Amino acid sequence: MAGRVIVITSGKGGVGKTTTSANIGTALAKEGYKVVLIDTDLGLRNLDLLLGLENRIVYTIVDVIEERCKLKQALVKDKKNPNLQLLAAAQTRDKSAVNAEQLKEICDTLKEKNDFVLVDCPAGIEQGFQNAVAGASEAIVVTTPEMSAIRDADRIIGLLNAKEEIESTKLLLNRVRPNLIKNKEMMSVDEVAEILEIPLVGIIPEDTGIITSTNKGDPIVNDDKALAGQAYRNVAQRILGEEVAFLDLDEPKGIVAKIKNVFAKLREKV
Amino acid sequence: MEKGFIENGFIIDLSVAQNTSQLVSELNSVMEHPDVKGKRICLKLGDLDLNQSQLLSVKALIESMDAEIAYIDTLSEQTEASAVSHGIIVSKCDNEEIPAASYVAEPKEEEAEAVVETLKEGEIIEVHADIKQQPEAEPVVTIEGIEDNFTEETAQELSEIIPSEHFETDFETLAANEGLFANEEVSKYILLDTGDVLPEAAEENSIDTKTLPTLYLHQTLRSGQTVTYEGNILIIGDAHPGSEIVADGDVTVWGILGGIAHAGKKGNITAKVRALKLNAIQLRIAGLYARRNDTLNVPYVQKTNEFTPEEAQIEDGKIVIYKKLRRD
Repeated sequence: MAGRVIVITSGKGGVGKTTTSANIGTALAKEGYKVVLIDTDLGLRNLDLLLGLENRIVYTIVDVIEERCKLKQALVKDKKNPNLQLLAAAQTRDKSAVNAEQLKEICDTLKEKNDFVLVDCPAGIEQGFQNAVAGASEAIVVTTPEMSAIRDADRIIGLLNAKEEIESTKLLLNRVRPNLIKNKEMMSVDEVAEILEIPLVGIIPEDTGIITSTNKGDPIVNDDKALAGQAYRNVAQRILGEEVAFLDLDEPKGIVAKIKNVFAKLREKV
Repeated sequence: MEKGFIENGFIIDLSVAQNTSQLVSELNSVMEHPDVKGKRICLKLGDLDLNQSQLLSVKALIESMDAEIAYIDTLSEQTEASAVSHGIIVSKCDNEEIPAASYVAEPKEEEAEAVVETLKEGEIIEVHADIKQQPEAEPVVTIEGIEDNFTEETAQELSEIIPSEHFETDFETLAANEGLFANEEVSKYILLDTGDVLPEAAEENSIDTKTLPTLYLHQTLRSGQTVTYEGNILIIGDAHPGSEIVADGDVTVWGILGGIAHAGKKGNITAKVRALKLNAIQLRIAGLYARRNDTLNVPYVQKTNEFTPEEAQIEDGKIVIYKKLRRD
């Protein structure tokens, strides 16, 4: 059976598309699935950095398309998990170096031998977006609870709905800060979901650990203690079709409440 | 003077000179003129071959008149090599870019005098347009993503990277220890298995890189910028991560090398990569590719004054890095 091709997109830049791609990819690979991550952000590639694979890249997607190497040669295996492979973008070229059909062809080839092909989309709605979406049949729209990001996500959802090949579009709400929501300074998850009217696939809390993990080139899903890591692992489970409850992000205040909360969680698990 | 490199500049076109004595007499007649004093001069030398001592005497002649050579424009490889060894910048002299006074030597003496005549008025002279442009000289240089070769900002950046005093002292140290890199292997790079043999480097050769022409670049290379040259590449400035330097000969970076460097691209196994600080994400020499060791997580190098120059070369089928011995 052919694998699933999922594009991770947002419209707006800086909302966490690349972080999301790296983490979902790693989480799925940890579950034992064969995953290929494709970075389509030509000229501004970052996915290799987040995975700590920059020093291993010899060939890029442009080399594959311009037939300087075979597709297999350009796939860089992850350091920790051989199930995870990366097809890097070219840093010294721009978006015009590839077109939608070429990308679709690569996705079609890759999905035959892999369970998941995750396409990291560049910001914007121009050719880079069109290329990234071309081979996908599912989409995850990443947004943050800010008006500007939501507006752009809405635009993207509209564009995705117009594409027949995209069978499902899901929402991932990133950088959620429960404290701000509580004080009504930030839009709540429900409000965002209500505006965008697509099913939620994940809620990721703001986590300073993301910064360290990005700098180290080690996705946060590899950190068992991090809350954001848990949230991404849950996203992977939902992609696999499991029913997983959304994390309770309301951090209890005070040490007694925290301990109570830990026990409550333990009870839930039992 | 927005664009271009010379300030208070003066172009002297001597490309019609057939031999050195013609060149010197022609230059003499121009240099006598008071307007030349204190100017930075661009010398157009055409295809005349000058060896090191000849070029040095030309330089001395210019300096004796209180002027200095900003750079030379030559089509001769020998002259270029001589210039590089004397630290004279070789560059294309673009008449349009330097709206300063110019002098064009003409084959006939009378005309040359006529030009000097006008110079006396203290006015700016238009350059004669009927100088035939030489066909695009080999080798081919491609610089992608770089719009201005040199701007005020790059000059400023450069002075931040390497303070001028430090520049001189370090150069002396290097000269004193020439060729004496410590025989200490630094295993900070690990060979990469690139699968099939890389087509361009399939045939090995060992052409002496000293015989190759050199591209001299005075700027910071930023992420996404590529410099490719069919010869050696010398960069005064840093090469940031994400940049690529690809040379048929040696790659030398007078600064921090953080991007990818490929020396001996067409299979020259004697080619070397050297930098004040080798922090390249990948080092490539001929058909060998090496990646930086994962345990060395140093994405950012502090621009301190304490660099120990490093040099990478192929030895026994491996890429080996030598560090210059510290004197202390």
